[in-house]
Amino acid sequence: MKPHDLELLSAYLDGQLNPSDSARLKTRLKSDRELASVMDDLRTARGYLRQLPLRRAPRNFTLTRKMVGQNPPMPRAYPFFRVATTLATLLFFLTYGFNFLAPQLVSQPGYGMGGGGVEAYSAEAPAAAATEAPAATEAPAEPQLSAPALTATPEIAQDRIMETPSAKNGVEPTEPTVDLFAQTQPEMPAQEPPPLISTVWQYILLGVAVFGAALMLVMRSLSVRRWK
Amino acid sequence: MTLGVKPLHSDKITPMNEQALIQDAQGGNLDAFNSLILHYQDSVFNTALRILSDDDLAADATQDAFISAFKSINSYRGGSFKAWLMRTVTNACYDELRRQKRRPTTPLEPDTEDGEEMDSPRWLADTNMTPDQVAEADELEHAIQHCLNNLPLEFKSVVIMADIQGMDYTEVAVAIKVPLGTIKSRLARARLRLRECLQGFEELLPSSFRLEVEGRAQ
Repeated sequence: MKPHDLELLSAYLDGQLNPSDSARLKTRLKSDRELASVMDDLRTARGYLRQLPLRRAPRNFTLTRKMVGQNPPMPRAYPFFRVATTLATLLFFLTYGFNFLAPQLVSQPGYGMGGGGVEAYSAEAPAAAATEAPAATEAPAEPQLSAPALTATPEIAQDRIMETPSAKNGVEPTEPTVDLFAQTQPEMPAQEPPPLISTVWQYILLGVAVFGAALMLVMRSLSVRRWK
Repeated sequence: MTLGVKPLHSDKITPMNEQALIQDAQGGNLDAFNSLILHYQDSVFNTALRILSDDDLAADATQDAFISAFKSINSYRGGSFKAWLMRTVTNACYDELRRQKRRPTTPLEPDTEDGEEMDSPRWLADTNMTPDQVAEADELEHAIQHCLNNLPLEFKSVVIMADIQGMDYTEVAVAIKVPLGTIKSRLARARLRLRECLQGFEELLPSSFRLEVEGRAQ
């Protein structure tokens, strides 16, 4: 059996042959027993398949909006509020972070612009004391002279300086420098620089973010309700 | 744009109504598409069932096919909608078969003492059939499904669409995306192979059915 004949028989069975081919095949089927036998086989096979019971779907396959990822139609202003809220939230956290981190960055040694923060200033204090101290104790004074003076009150510092041999020897003490440190040192932590970005702006950004989010929530719930 | 066609709640759809529903569905109208689903779900499920030979997998493939069809409905450019749907479900079945090949699984259905799979009780649920008819129908279905499973996949899908679904050659060609000549050739060879396979089951097939087929052949 030629493959072409097989195709012809199958197509003939389904009525897919043109009239001339169909007539020719009919004549051949009458004379060719093998062809007729194959034709019967094909017809039987098709008959079996057509007898196969068609099963009903076990359930309905209808789709829900969730299944296809459909979202309710939002108002036109919705994207604007979404962008504004996102931007305000981002800016709020950025300003907050910037205000928090900026003083710490500035205080780092070797940080450019010559320093100038609270910590930088207090870090310079011992160095200044170390350089100033020898001036106050040029005479064979106690080497620890300046150190207790830094922590003592001005009156105590004054008493101690007066008791030193150098003072007794008539060397002009350089109390003003010692006094200066003794008075200024405890006040240093109070010199906190103002925030780089005003807190008013932060409140505004926070307000925009919260208001925008709330508005979006309302818009969304209204749209969903209308959509349903 | 929706045409405002009232979605049908029955599965009766005229060709004109079908086009309107398709256009509505292309505009995003899910209700219109659900009407089409109700109309075609039996055909789509049966195709999946014959390809996959498993009820649960067929149901999953059918659902996937409908979801995929809705998402890509704008790619439908006219012609037979059934053929277009059949292409979608065939692709879903091929995906499932590929997945099974990668990760083979063992069915949890209990076996009989002989080691044969137990019959599904679905026929028992049909109150219109006598127990004998139920048994005959079950035997016939098992035999045909067994022979279908022995066919190469490309033959199987053609014969399912042409002979079980009753689609014409052009529709099958659209659904399988192969030329008409290939469909003719595959169908002829598939039928011959099925005939050879079913001859081994001749004694098992229902007597009434044998007579019916023989009578038609004469």
